[in-house]
Amino acid sequence: MPPKRKAVGAPQAGVAKAGRTSALSTPGPATPRSLESSFQSDGDDDLNDDDVDETIKRKEEVIAREADEFVNTWAVDSSRFQSRQDGGGSHRDGATQFFGSGKRDFSYLNLKPDHDQKPLWIDPEKGTIILEKFSPDADRVTDFLVTIAEPKSRPHFLHEYQLTAHSLYAGVSIGLQSKDIIDTLDRFLKTPLPESIRLFIESCTKSYGKVKLVLNNNKYFVESSDAELLQKLLRDEVIGKWRVQGSGDITTSYAPTMGGLVIPGTKDAAGVNQADLNKSGNKKTAEDGTAGAAATNEADLYAAINEEDDEDDKDAVHAFEIPETAVEIVQRRCLDLGFPILEEYDFRNDSNNADLEIDLRPNTQIRPYQEQSLSKMFGNGRAKSGIIVLPCGAGKTLVGITAACTIKKGVIVLCTSSMSVVQWRQEFLKWSNINPDDIAVFTAESKNKFSGNTGIIVTTYSMVTNNRERSHDSKKMMDFLKSREWGLMLLDEVHVVPADVFRRVISSIKSHSKLGLTATLLREDDKISHLNFLIGPKLYEANWMELSEKGHIAKVQCAEVWCPMPTEFYDEYLRANSRMKRTLYAMNPRKFQACQYLINYHEARGDKIIVFSDELYSLKQYALKLNKVFIYGGTGQAERMQVLENFQHNPQVNTLFLSKIGDTSLDLPEATCLIQISSHFGSRRQEAQRLGRILRAKRRNDVGFNAFFYSLVSKDTQEMYYSSKRQAFLVDQGYAFKVITQLANIENTPDLAFATAQERRELLQRTLVDNEKGAEDDVETDDLFGKVGRGRGGGAKGRAAAVRRMAGTLGELSGGQDMAYIEQNKAANKGLKKKGAAKAEQSAFFKKLQREKERSRALARQG
Amino acid sequence: MSLGGQQLLEYLEKLPGTAFRRLYQSPATALAIFRRMLSYHAKVIVRGLLYMPDPFPLTSLDIWFPPEGGGKIHRDRTIAALRSLHILQVSPPSKDRTQEIQITTSFKKGLQLAFEGGGEDGSFGVPSSLPVDPSIDIAYLDKYARKKWDDILHYVVNSLGVHGSSEGVSGPKASVKELLLAGRLVERRPDTRTGIGITQAGFTFLLQESNAQVWTLLLLWLEAADHAADSGMDSIDMLSFLFMLSSLELGTAYDTSALTETRRNMLPSLVDFGLIYFPRDTRQFFPTRLATTLTSTASALRTVSSAFTAATANPSGEPGTTTSTSGGPAATPDKTQTAAKGIIIETNYRIYAYTTSPLQIAVLALFCQLNMRFPNMVSGRLTRDSIRQAIGFGITADQIISYLHAHAHQQMVREATVTGKPVLPPTVVDQIRLWQLENERMQTTAGFLFKDFESTEEYAALSRYAEEIGVLVWKNDKRQLFFASKHEQLRDYLKSRKKGE
Amino acid sequence: MPRAIRGVLIQCEPAIKSIIVHLDSVNNDIIIEDLDEQTLVVKENMVQLLKQKLEDRLKETYRPEEPLADSD
Repeated sequence: MPPKRKAVGAPQAGVAKAGRTSALSTPGPATPRSLESSFQSDGDDDLNDDDVDETIKRKEEVIAREADEFVNTWAVDSSRFQSRQDGGGSHRDGATQFFGSGKRDFSYLNLKPDHDQKPLWIDPEKGTIILEKFSPDADRVTDFLVTIAEPKSRPHFLHEYQLTAHSLYAGVSIGLQSKDIIDTLDRFLKTPLPESIRLFIESCTKSYGKVKLVLNNNKYFVESSDAELLQKLLRDEVIGKWRVQGSGDITTSYAPTMGGLVIPGTKDAAGVNQADLNKSGNKKTAEDGTAGAAATNEADLYAAINEEDDEDDKDAVHAFEIPETAVEIVQRRCLDLGFPILEEYDFRNDSNNADLEIDLRPNTQIRPYQEQSLSKMFGNGRAKSGIIVLPCGAGKTLVGITAACTIKKGVIVLCTSSMSVVQWRQEFLKWSNINPDDIAVFTAESKNKFSGNTGIIVTTYSMVTNNRERSHDSKKMMDFLKSREWGLMLLDEVHVVPADVFRRVISSIKSHSKLGLTATLLREDDKISHLNFLIGPKLYEANWMELSEKGHIAKVQCAEVWCPMPTEFYDEYLRANSRMKRTLYAMNPRKFQACQYLINYHEARGDKIIVFSDELYSLKQYALKLNKVFIYGGTGQAERMQVLENFQHNPQVNTLFLSKIGDTSLDLPEATCLIQISSHFGSRRQEAQRLGRILRAKRRNDVGFNAFFYSLVSKDTQEMYYSSKRQAFLVDQGYAFKVITQLANIENTPDLAFATAQERRELLQRTLVDNEKGAEDDVETDDLFGKVGRGRGGGAKGRAAAVRRMAGTLGELSGGQDMAYIEQNKAANKGLKKKGAAKAEQSAFFKKLQREKERSRALARQG
Repeated sequence: MSLGGQQLLEYLEKLPGTAFRRLYQSPATALAIFRRMLSYHAKVIVRGLLYMPDPFPLTSLDIWFPPEGGGKIHRDRTIAALRSLHILQVSPPSKDRTQEIQITTSFKKGLQLAFEGGGEDGSFGVPSSLPVDPSIDIAYLDKYARKKWDDILHYVVNSLGVHGSSEGVSGPKASVKELLLAGRLVERRPDTRTGIGITQAGFTFLLQESNAQVWTLLLLWLEAADHAADSGMDSIDMLSFLFMLSSLELGTAYDTSALTETRRNMLPSLVDFGLIYFPRDTRQFFPTRLATTLTSTASALRTVSSAFTAATANPSGEPGTTTSTSGGPAATPDKTQTAAKGIIIETNYRIYAYTTSPLQIAVLALFCQLNMRFPNMVSGRLTRDSIRQAIGFGITADQIISYLHAHAHQQMVREATVTGKPVLPPTVVDQIRLWQLENERMQTTAGFLFKDFESTEEYAALSRYAEEIGVLVWKNDKRQLFFASKHEQLRDYLKSRKKGE
Repeated sequence: MPRAIRGVLIQCEPAIKSIIVHLDSVNNDIIIEDLDEQTLVVKENMVQLLKQKLEDRLKETYRPEEPLADSD
């Protein structure tokens, strides 16, 4: 998407208020939000955008609708691509009926004589590709498939990919031609390529990527290698009149190539004089020789296919100029015409924007998969916008930094929390030689600009999307951000951020290229396609198991521990409302015991343990009873740092309880074991993120090292349902969850909590009493865009509560205070007193911890 | 001993002694039983005693059973097996004499005749002296037999397509269907499309190696003959005939006129089962591989699909039939015959079966949610619902697991060998079992709750009595309550107790 | 004379029993006698209904089968 040109009206408090009321009563029907229709567990990505200016909102609705239309036009199983092969029916037999009443029986396809040597099957109806991972060609074919198809299932022996319009779009955008895709697929299939698939690929690739929008010397050019197509666009009544006159109808030049561009940190980077890089585009370099940074695998793969094309390797491209004001119109028109525009940034020829002095530190070497992902972004020497998907711990930040070092222009980094803002800045300083003055942060606390004429700004999504009650400083800063042209926009954790927020970011800040980073391109709201539309295609997606086998991320043993509920708890559970149910299954004493047992076991093994609970009440109860440190949204910054410091360095502090604020961006490489006692409904994404907390374990390369991931679930409760739903993504990545129904000798655990019926009854009573009065205590939405407690069938009362919580989320968005919003929320709900008590309790606990530490230190001295 | 042998053994052991005397009159039967039904040690004993005129002291056998091989227990087990087949006689234990053993007269005579190649005419069949149609070769017979047997198995898995016979799967003869119903391999189920559903016994049947399957069916047939006394069928003679068939040569034509009338009457049923081929208007019959392997232990015959691949493997190596039973032109090159077979089960419950056999696919459909079918592979998934459906049929988790294990793809086996890990993903195996357990979470017993006793003694006496007569299901002495499955006898007992007071 | 009451004995895990007790609490038309944590006697004519309701109740604790991603 191009930067929005229309100035956004300064929001007024009154307007915002009115906007909210109306939005609550009449949600825009065109907005593809799943607010009401989606199942409660799926809604955790929705952003409540009630306070947004109506004009912006309408604009966003339009973009949303466009995205939907765009997606639907290219639905894979859209009937236009289906051509059932003649005579298919004649192969029916007794088993045909088992395959979707015969619709999914493709046994009529002919096997090639040498099909044994081929690794692929493809389903002619929906484009599902099955790959034999044990085939000698598997590795090469995998690289190809990741480029053109969506990975669906990657366990051990057979992988499944899905050919989609978007995945083909991604393939085309990184430089593959229809012919490459068709020929390569055909070459590795066990059956001849079905005609329907050939048609599908052709019709998708015919239009995708054919038209590019290039920002060059601050002029916008519509570019294509197909002159006829450009002529057609010029003849179009809408586009034609926007051509900048006098610039020559169509200019022709040579298609860009990697042309001596070297991605820093790669092998090719060694020995290249970095200072020359910016000019190297103009230098005559042996193109074929130095294009090595592009994945060599692919090079061979297409070598045979492209042989005949070698001579006219330098394709001609044609372009015409359009004014800045017409960018959006032309872009929309092209979409309507079926030629979605691809954006590219020829940063090496951008003399208008100042160069940024930045490079990777000399000893920094990026890993092969990081290089591969970047080579997709910079394949033709320009920067393409898109998304790179790497598991947590696999070095997403370094990929972003390397991209910044390649483009060397102004960079804006958007994060999900102020904590990760700090981390991003630190990482930039760690990996690159950027002058600390050139990298500034924009958060609630800090609103600095960089000193030079260009630089890096690290901020949060909420800081730049917030639309009301901006402080003077913030407003000034926003004006600054909006007034500039950024070379690269780095979008961190794109899966967490609602599509609407992206729209707002993209419509207010102009950037030449956008790189989205995420661990899981997985959204329960199924709006991934919107991300493709807003940011760009997925450029690369790593295989978790493969990275783990190669030691880039830790190997993990996963287990689901079933904890039966004692009768009195279960009786109460059956009677309880949905919120109390959550508390009860978290407070299940058998679960508590399992947690205690596992902590004992793993501490004894020398593990550092993180225990996750989304349920604040149980988080505190567990931590206090087990005498462990904890952090949640309400924990102050200083205390947080102190706890983290201790967890990392103090051998006495081996277990840390975290609320969901620890789901993302908390870098704790010491952690080797993770126990989940309560989680956010059925969020597959949260499960993957949490697993990510231990993937970067420092000890991952120790011989035989395994990290551990336990999910404790209360038997016969909804938690079981959510648990298996949550695991679905990881299971498809090849992780296996072992069900543990009985922990060996748990009854022999010393000081086992709640061992007597009396204690269990007391726990139940206390839990019920505590949670009846403090219903709002559980509200923790500092996972920036999270929302809790939208229970189905909650009745009027439940809905009212949900609304209040949304307001809390809003408060956080507008205030831009990532972690502190909970206090506001409490204040609004007269919960201050209780909050104060909790705080006192906590500091008392820390004092105690401190005392104990001193005592043991004293003891050590004596000894 | 093959699995089929095990079933046969169980059947034989139930027969009275007279039946054995008749069976052993046929040297072919005695030989078949000697060859296929006896353990190594049993054979050693029989050989040793066969030509011994006098009984032999039991203790003398001990030299064959050294203590490290299990010694006396092993010896006694072997002797028990021989006795159950009425091959060995053992004198009763007494204080004055040591126990003695000898081969029963009938078995001795039968086996001696077999060894010496004598006995009544036609015990081992009489080859036809008439000219033989050259087109009836082994390949032809194999194809024929498989078609017949496939039809039966298809019927059992209830996989007949809507278009039935038009697709070349005609289903077995009505008589065979009756037999399958009578044997409860299938049952009438109005809720299924064909009105027939598989039973637990039926699934066990499908999981058997083909040889065992054949025996299962034949034994059902024998039992049916026993029950229908007026059918003119004699199960002992039938059994004897089956043993004779097993001794015949595959590919050879035999003379029907050398058979007794009762045996000739058996031929149509054996044709229906696919055990023999009976060309029209000839006095010849051909045993198929299903018949000649009846008492064979060929372990190549393993599973539903491989059994058929094996049973019909074309020894001449020329392009044979595809494994598809569809009447249409073969859609797949014959290469599939040599391609890897087997099932891959992934940790995410996805299943990929390298198969072209509609039969195996139908078996998979019993417990998998199938998704796509390619010319040489089908894909699907194990789901809670698919497993629960199977369990609803009476199929057990263990049966499914052992099926997956027996059919595991070579890649899985190789991987397991290399890594030293189990062939099937343990999490999947656990989950299949857990899904089964879900079904067993509530046990119900109809009956009567006994309460409000007049005295502790009355409670104690009645509950004790209930326990004695085996109707007590549950009791609580403290609360003086018990639950019994029946009440009549308890009522009577209570009355008589009152009278006695 | 002691009484003999016709019914069906149910032996199950405590959780299942809890659910049955919970179901009964609506109309009190299922349970004849609550025996202990894992045992109770229910009316014979309610067994089928009970099994159905129990299954419904437990359903929410299992993941519904997602259709295969690539099937209808």
